[in-house]
Amino acid sequence: MLDDTLIDFVKVLRNAEIKVSPSETLDAMACLNVVGMEDRLFLKNSLALVLAKTPEEKEAFEDCFERFFTIDKLLPANDDDMPQEEAGQGDDDDEFSDDSDSSQPGKGGGQGGGGGEAQDSATEDGLKAQSALGKLMTAGSRTDQTIAIVEAGRAVNVNQIVVFTQKGLYTRKIMDEMGLKGLNEEITELKGHGGQGQKDLGKTLTRARESLRERVRDYVEKQFFLHADEFGKQLREELLRKVKLSNLEKRNFKDVQEIVFRMAKKLISIHSKRRKTTKRGQLDIRKTLRHNMQYDGMFFDLKWKASRVDRPKVMCICDVSGSVSNYSRFLLMFLYSLAEVLPKVRSFAFSSDLGEVTQLFQNAGLEEAMARTMRDYGNGSTDYGQMLEDFRSHCMKDVNNKTTIIILGDARNNYGDSKSEILKEMYDKAKRVIWLNPETKSNWTVGDAEMKKYAPCCHQTEVCNSLTHLERVVGNLLRSAT
Amino acid sequence: MPVNIDEKLANVDVIKDGFDALNYICNKQIATAVFLAYHLEKPILIEGPPGVGKTELAKTTAEMLQLECIRLQCYEGLDESKAIYEWKYGKQLLYTQVLKETLGEILDGAKGLSESVAKLHDFGDIFFSDEFLEPRPLLKALRAEEGCVLLIDEIDKSDHEFESLLLEMLSDFQLSIPEIGTVKASGKRKPLVFLTSNNTREISDALKRRCLHLYIPFPDASLENQIVNARVPEIAEKLRIQLVNFIQELRDMDLKKVPAISETIDWARTLILLNSESLDADLVKQTLNVILKFQEDIETVEAELQSVTNKVLKES
Repeated sequence: MLDDTLIDFVKVLRNAEIKVSPSETLDAMACLNVVGMEDRLFLKNSLALVLAKTPEEKEAFEDCFERFFTIDKLLPANDDDMPQEEAGQGDDDDEFSDDSDSSQPGKGGGQGGGGGEAQDSATEDGLKAQSALGKLMTAGSRTDQTIAIVEAGRAVNVNQIVVFTQKGLYTRKIMDEMGLKGLNEEITELKGHGGQGQKDLGKTLTRARESLRERVRDYVEKQFFLHADEFGKQLREELLRKVKLSNLEKRNFKDVQEIVFRMAKKLISIHSKRRKTTKRGQLDIRKTLRHNMQYDGMFFDLKWKASRVDRPKVMCICDVSGSVSNYSRFLLMFLYSLAEVLPKVRSFAFSSDLGEVTQLFQNAGLEEAMARTMRDYGNGSTDYGQMLEDFRSHCMKDVNNKTTIIILGDARNNYGDSKSEILKEMYDKAKRVIWLNPETKSNWTVGDAEMKKYAPCCHQTEVCNSLTHLERVVGNLLRSAT
Repeated sequence: MPVNIDEKLANVDVIKDGFDALNYICNKQIATAVFLAYHLEKPILIEGPPGVGKTELAKTTAEMLQLECIRLQCYEGLDESKAIYEWKYGKQLLYTQVLKETLGEILDGAKGLSESVAKLHDFGDIFFSDEFLEPRPLLKALRAEEGCVLLIDEIDKSDHEFESLLLEMLSDFQLSIPEIGTVKASGKRKPLVFLTSNNTREISDALKRRCLHLYIPFPDASLENQIVNARVPEIAEKLRIQLVNFIQELRDMDLKKVPAISETIDWARTLILLNSESLDADLVKQTLNVILKFQEDIETVEAELQSVTNKVLKES
């Protein structure tokens, strides 16, 4: 049972974006065996060591632990305190419902007397609740009741709750599982009975039933937040990754930004490792001597001093007019999130005249930089010819065979001069020219779109209109850096 | 006097007391980490800002358990020949020369090439054997009979390949040497492994998965008070509280490098040398360069020196 709890907990952690591998789960179990469950703080510290492996994860872990183990924390160390029904229930969930139903008519009052009877006044008259649930509510301790709720919850798979509206359903299911039917019948029977004692007991049971319902609802709600909330978040993220960036609404920007940062982080961790040993440069005498001792001192295998990390130099030209601006926004967001592996990004914005915005994005926050870019460059009809002209006069001298140029735009030139010969020049000079077009391929040649002229002057043309596309493009960019 | 390690690491409180006795003041998390590392036989990866006592933890553990502390300082370009083992090339060369001279004796009476080769094989091959093996820290740690504390310091400074090299050692406490085979931890106890990282780069998931992960943040005021008290016992209580509060204030400010515990301790020692009994703005200004290591930071703090000092004095 402990293991099941732990597995559930790991599931919750994964929902909260803490990466827990199976081997770490095994570690956690081993850890549980050593630590035990008596000392909550000790347990928390220990599990945090095994399961959460970055400061951010530790924080998330803390949160999850508090939420997950709030109900469970009262688990008693020894089973002796439990009433008989509880013990049976802990071992076998399936049998429990039968048990509670069948126990309702025939069982004697003495049988359930294991718990703290003194808690309830109904026992004064010598009357005792007959149904299993009734007994639990009147005679069982609060801990036992909590355990019963959790057990019943597990039996009806409350952790599979998906949407908010299912709360009522699961509350009902758990109550049924706990033997609500027996309790209801008993209450009806008691009320029909004439005696004062019976009536009092009936009232007590009704009250107990209400409070139980309250607690179960609470429990279901907590479970909902633990399991379903995250599930909903995953769905939403999945959607956001695929949706066209131009259709994103402002309220989604924050979520998207988070996703972009995560994607960027992944790419960084993949690509920060790339290291290229130089085959020329300064000879490392010490290393060479040492290494070549095994060849009898002959200089057989030479060692060089520097090993250098190869990183692409990126120039990014973004159309920031009207509908395309949203794409530019996220491309820039992506590129600047990658500062660690892409230190040399220069960015330019244009609708007609080209302007460099590198400084702006490095110094100001993304939102502000974007807003200022829009203000300064966003107006005016798009003129790709002018953009290329400007690029040639300002930046062509900085382009060399290590530069990758990314152009993001729909290539809709308002029937102006395309000046594709300048792009050809860039094509010849740069290492790569990549054109990202947010429109689908079939629209690339429709109307005033000039892709037909531009495409031959690019090493690569891509449709790019969702985060998934962006991630792929940037990933390729980093991969080809070697 | 041998120490019973099981006893010293019996539970978290015992560990904490053990550290206390050696003037290493720690919180429960740290003690729990050491406890689990021993009982689960897992390495600990320690992260945290510089100067919070990551390396010190390993050293103190070694001292407490009276075990040898084998330290491997990582740096860029560290490779297996410096971390695991190397052949003693010089000796190997001598050996071949000796072999050459005695070759005649060995091959005496052999007819034909195949017989000679067979005889040569019979002679025994010790060219790649333990005798010519120069053990480096990792191998040394595996071979320590009585167990030891292995400290792999600043793992983030090493290359990425080196991390992969460590994986076998960390998960199974064994190392493969192609010419000899697999070397397993030989002693009665497996070495207690500590890795420290300053987080200059992300440590790979594979490595993290094999370790317990301990994050040591800057201590809170009460813990820092205890630490200063343990390390600089001669400081007056009043001054100590003021000093710790001041440092705590500084850590909330936007600085290039915030003062760590080691700086707090240095500062405490400085103030004692100056025979001061209480903090005031002038004194702080004169000694600010003990705790702040960048001119920018000093300028930032000087601007607000008066208000921060007043606040601290009021609090204590």
